[in-house]
Amino acid sequence: MCGVSGILHKSAGFASGLSPVGEQLIRMLEPMTHRGRDSSGVTVVGEDLEGDLVVRLWTGSVREAADVLARAEETVRRAGGVVCSSHHTGQFLRLVVNFEGETSELAAALLETPGVALHSIGHTSEVIKDVGTPVAMDQRHDIGAIRGTHGIGHVRMATESRVDVNHAHPFWAYPFPDVSVVHNGQLTNYHKLRRMYEDQGHHFQTGNDSELIAVYLADKLAHGEQLDDALRSSLDDLDGTFTYLVATREGLGYAKDEWSAKPLVTMETDDVIAIASEEVALRGILPPGMEGEEIDRVEPQKSEVMTWLL
Amino acid sequence: MQLKELAAPGSEITVANPNARHNLGVGIFEDCAIRFAGSVGYYAASLLDGPEVLIEGNAGWAVGDNMMSGKITVTRDAGASAGSTMRGGELFIGGNAGARAGISMKGGSLVIGGNAGFLTGFMMQKGRIIICGDAGEALGDSMYEGAIYVAGNIASLGADATVEEMTEDELIDVLTVLEARGITDKRSFTKVVSAKRFYNYDSLERLEKSAL
Repeated sequence: MCGVSGILHKSAGFASGLSPVGEQLIRMLEPMTHRGRDSSGVTVVGEDLEGDLVVRLWTGSVREAADVLARAEETVRRAGGVVCSSHHTGQFLRLVVNFEGETSELAAALLETPGVALHSIGHTSEVIKDVGTPVAMDQRHDIGAIRGTHGIGHVRMATESRVDVNHAHPFWAYPFPDVSVVHNGQLTNYHKLRRMYEDQGHHFQTGNDSELIAVYLADKLAHGEQLDDALRSSLDDLDGTFTYLVATREGLGYAKDEWSAKPLVTMETDDVIAIASEEVALRGILPPGMEGEEIDRVEPQKSEVMTWLL
Repeated sequence: MQLKELAAPGSEITVANPNARHNLGVGIFEDCAIRFAGSVGYYAASLLDGPEVLIEGNAGWAVGDNMMSGKITVTRDAGASAGSTMRGGELFIGGNAGARAGISMKGGSLVIGGNAGFLTGFMMQKGRIIICGDAGEALGDSMYEGAIYVAGNIASLGADATVEEMTEDELIDVLTVLEARGITDKRSFTKVVSAKRFYNYDSLERLEKSAL
């Protein structure tokens, strides 16, 4: 079992400013903690870095974090980029870089940097994930303070692979900036597809089957497919059970398998699109005074795909 | 106080602000009335034997799971697996039901005011399902016994499900159930049953046979 959530502010943008997406994702994930306490994570999209990239890294040693950060900065410079800012909170490293080249080259260079696990690269988004519950993650990373236009979140109960920070969701669609996924389910053709994608030169950082969905979408997007076409073709190409959400720079989407095996409910108001495994999560973001009110929520069924763009 | 402790014969209980939480009103065996003033989560009013339950909102997955007897009303939508393995009583869903409603049901009535989802009546063994709206794909897949009545369209029948003529008595039964729920605009139905082409079972269980 796992829990997924997503939110998109329809009117979001430069005119109306950014919304408290981080806080809302935590408020949706917290009541779904029973769906998984192993790890938690969010992608928040919307921060405008005026062309710069935000890079999220993790390293296995607290003691070496400062050294690893220095090495990562050096990697960025050697790849031809400029480090605008960098800091680390414990084992979590965050860099803002100005980089004119292909993101794939920067990503590959960073991966070769000793001690580095690469969680995300984005123009407008970053992946933050950690072991433990969403509330614990919020306390450590102050997710609630992050504003944006939209985002996705996850609570994990591990079934197929180990519990650690790197195996937490969301999974970034290496090397595609701003594309990441959260998944509830199990993929049964993971090893077969992973071998195929590795033969084609795609990179996997973990043994988590959900990472395959991120790589799958990255491959489709690299071939010029639209997001909803990629989601739709995944219904045939992925075997097993899945409800997954994807966040991109432009919006949100979900895909749900042909067995309708994993739950999902969606709610649309004048202001927001909210998506979650359970209604209790949707209720987490109802405005004050609305808590007891009934809501119109839709339960997607089988082989369904939906995207919402800003 | 625990709902179970409050549930005495004849008692009327209101649960305020259920907030879509799971496992509410489970295992209540007294003839009482329970009202949830709002949406409930998974397994609401499951393992029920006797009570009359009103859910003023949506229900999550498996509402009324394994009900033996009693009456459950959901005013809005229900998630997947509504009335799973129910053996008796009546489960009414005012809105739409998710996938696999009435999965493996073994008795009683499941009444859906709106549309029913994918695989409704999957492996159903007894009882009846009445759908006022449309039915999703694979309706009645691998059902053994029982009947499904659909007022709207059927996206597709499941494996070994077939359409059968409905008798006048049956129609009166179905109309009576719906009238009790205030639904009077549905007058004709498509009846779906098992074709029993895959039906390779003895009618007796092993122990029954050994007793002969």
